[in-house]
Amino acid sequence: MTPKNNIVIGIVGALIVVASWNVGADPAEFVDGIPNLGIVMEEVVEEISDVDERMIDRALWSMLETIQMAFVGTFVGYALAFPMSLLASRNLASKWVYVPIRIVLAGIRTFPSILWAILFVIMVGPGPFAGILAITMYTLGFVAKLQYESMETVDADPMDAASAIGMSKLQLIRHVVMPESASHLFSHLLYMFDYNVRQTSILGLVGAGGIGFYIITHIKFFQYGKAAFFMLVVLLTVLAVDLISVKLRDRYVVKSQRGVVDAAH
Amino acid sequence: MSSADTPSIVRMSGVWASYKKKTTTLQNIDMEIKVGDSHAIVGPSGAGKSTLLKLINGTMMPSRGTILVDNHRPDQRDSVFRSKMARIGYIPQSLGLVRNSTVLDNVMMGALSRLGGLQSLLKRYPDSEVDAGHKVLEQVGLSDKVDRNVYTLSGGERRRVAIARAFMQRPKILLADEMISELDTTTSRIMMNMVRDEQKRTELTVIMIHHDIELATEFANTISLIKGGQKVLELGNSKNTITNFSIGESVQSGNA
Repeated sequence: MTPKNNIVIGIVGALIVVASWNVGADPAEFVDGIPNLGIVMEEVVEEISDVDERMIDRALWSMLETIQMAFVGTFVGYALAFPMSLLASRNLASKWVYVPIRIVLAGIRTFPSILWAILFVIMVGPGPFAGILAITMYTLGFVAKLQYESMETVDADPMDAASAIGMSKLQLIRHVVMPESASHLFSHLLYMFDYNVRQTSILGLVGAGGIGFYIITHIKFFQYGKAAFFMLVVLLTVLAVDLISVKLRDRYVVKSQRGVVDAAH
Repeated sequence: MSSADTPSIVRMSGVWASYKKKTTTLQNIDMEIKVGDSHAIVGPSGAGKSTLLKLINGTMMPSRGTILVDNHRPDQRDSVFRSKMARIGYIPQSLGLVRNSTVLDNVMMGALSRLGGLQSLLKRYPDSEVDAGHKVLEQVGLSDKVDRNVYTLSGGERRRVAIARAFMQRPKILLADEMISELDTTTSRIMMNMVRDEQKRTELTVIMIHHDIELATEFANTISLIKGGQKVLELGNSKNTITNFSIGESVQSGNA
């Protein structure tokens, strides 16, 4: 460890202490709070054992609604992001196009999905549609950035060769950029759906549909056991989505990326 | 072979080119290549040979001087010249293949300019074009690898895909940058004969960068030697002179 490293570690440590002090983060309070967690857990275990059929039904249907919202929002957002990312790529668009587009995309990314959800609840009223719109916007801002970053890494050689044989910009996108970045683009889609299922599960907190509505309602009425049951459904769904996405990634993404690595050697 | 009254297809006068303002890649190049010629460009690495090809297909602009290709100033931003670029077969040294596409898809890129906009974007190739693609792949000996992705091919096979793509352009001019490097002697000869046959059949003009001076003298009727960005020698239409030159002027010596 060099003296320079020690200084950096010292400064970061001091900043953590100062920032914690400023926001009133007290470790002693955390320790004092542990028994409270025990009380809640007791209640959860007690209530979760008498979950009835009606509740299971409600949890599964609202989870299905959540998945559908995430599905529609992810695909629509992804489709909207694609043309935006083409316009935001430095190797495909001029400075006068990609700079303003990137600013717009950065603006969209500034809002977390829950803020978009509040906005759309105000616009179109509470319900899943507001949630879909929120997920769409979030996906658009986020995926467009991932996409244009991938497109910018496409090897310049095939692009130069394509344009040297007189191919148009659109043909170049279709025949060079899309196949060369396909595995990344597919990987982004999987990642985003996976992420959006988690996000959509909390949009109900602001009235934008999905399973989150039941979670927040039960919490409000101090029915922690019921809330926990709904959370358990979310957890199991997220695990399942994660598993499927890993399988798909292994099958389609890893294989084609291995090809790119082979080609580079 | 061209005669004195054969029209020229490439004409350069006083051409200078540079990548950055400070360094000059090519200096004061004059060149005239006639329709149907087979012109070889030889010279050590870094002499500016590839730059010369880029100037001809309009992907690079000269800093000084004039160039006319098929009676037009080559510039890829010019829509009229862009339509001509579709008929300028180009085999860059790096090949410029799309690795995650199939061999056939790469070859079909050479035909895109002949297809309608939507047709080319949806990859709805007419049967006649697909047949032509298969035929050219058969010529380069890749008919068993049509549906393979390019990244699975060997270096020599990839080179042949790039050659097939250039032929698919039905070129009026063929620009080839070390087209046959990485190929064994037999395959090299097959490829060179393929070019020669095409020249007999059509009025194809070939401008080819060679590393192998023997092949250059065998297949070219005119040769330019480029060294340090300058054209130091041009020889043509006489095998004797070319042979004498290859003995006297060692191209390989500049490669050290």
